[in-house]
Amino acid sequence: MSTLNIGGSQLDASWFLLLSAILFVLGAVGVLVRRNPLVILISIELMLNAANLVLVAFSRQLVNIEGQLFALMSMTVAAAEAVVGLAILVDIFRTRDAEDIDDLSEMHG
Amino acid sequence: MAIAVFFVAAALAVLGGIGVVAFHQPIRSVLSLVVVMLSLSVIFLLLNAQFVFAVQIIVYAGAVMVLFLFVIALLGPARELGRGRLRFQGWLSALFVLVLLGLMWGLLQGVQYRQPDKGDLSFFGTVQSIGVGLFTTYLYPFELTSILLLVAAIGAIYLSRKRIDDV
Repeated sequence: MSTLNIGGSQLDASWFLLLSAILFVLGAVGVLVRRNPLVILISIELMLNAANLVLVAFSRQLVNIEGQLFALMSMTVAAAEAVVGLAILVDIFRTRDAEDIDDLSEMHG
Repeated sequence: MAIAVFFVAAALAVLGGIGVVAFHQPIRSVLSLVVVMLSLSVIFLLLNAQFVFAVQIIVYAGAVMVLFLFVIALLGPARELGRGRLRFQGWLSALFVLVLLGLMWGLLQGVQYRQPDKGDLSFFGTVQSIGVGLFTTYLYPFELTSILLLVAAIGAIYLSRKRIDDV
């Protein structure tokens, strides 16, 4: 157990990790259960955010700025991923109606 | 005080996460994700990450989510069809998720926290300290992200161009 002194009150570092685990699992549920490709992308963003929370929490626990720098890098990568993923989606939706991810399972080169 | 702020923000984040998965309209999922991001930004602020807090609101809740909203507005309201081809998908994913959560819980019990380095918290996470880190030790990764963003922009333009044979 490692307590963080935040504004005079003691918060446990594992609370942040637990919150992050819950959010990550919710994102995983979204990817597995939902059928709309757009919602799957949204769930991936949720998982990336949960990972960022771990990075920032450990950065604070170790009083080391590198975790926050890595969180910023991962935000950049997430933005790039969202842009390319949405562009691919728009391209797919232009040629056909793909409201179900199973409609996109035929990968003929 | 900080404990109350943490629990309110955490509850909002979890509720938003449930909303992302549970809402059937994609636009409601996006708005729930905005709730998650705003409450996570409050938690970042609790963790002395002022700059990450600002970037989270401006880049994530601002830019990325607006991009999602634009795409939903462009594609129109998509409704979710019934069941897919894979049988037992709900049960299988529930099982997978329970295993994943149990694994994470088990790992969380065994975490050995290193003693924190003695650092000065008064400058920790400020724009100054982030800038010093980004422009000295991590200059090359920082410059490489600009190339990554350029590649992503070119890729997005290429993928969403108007094809001549479409017209």
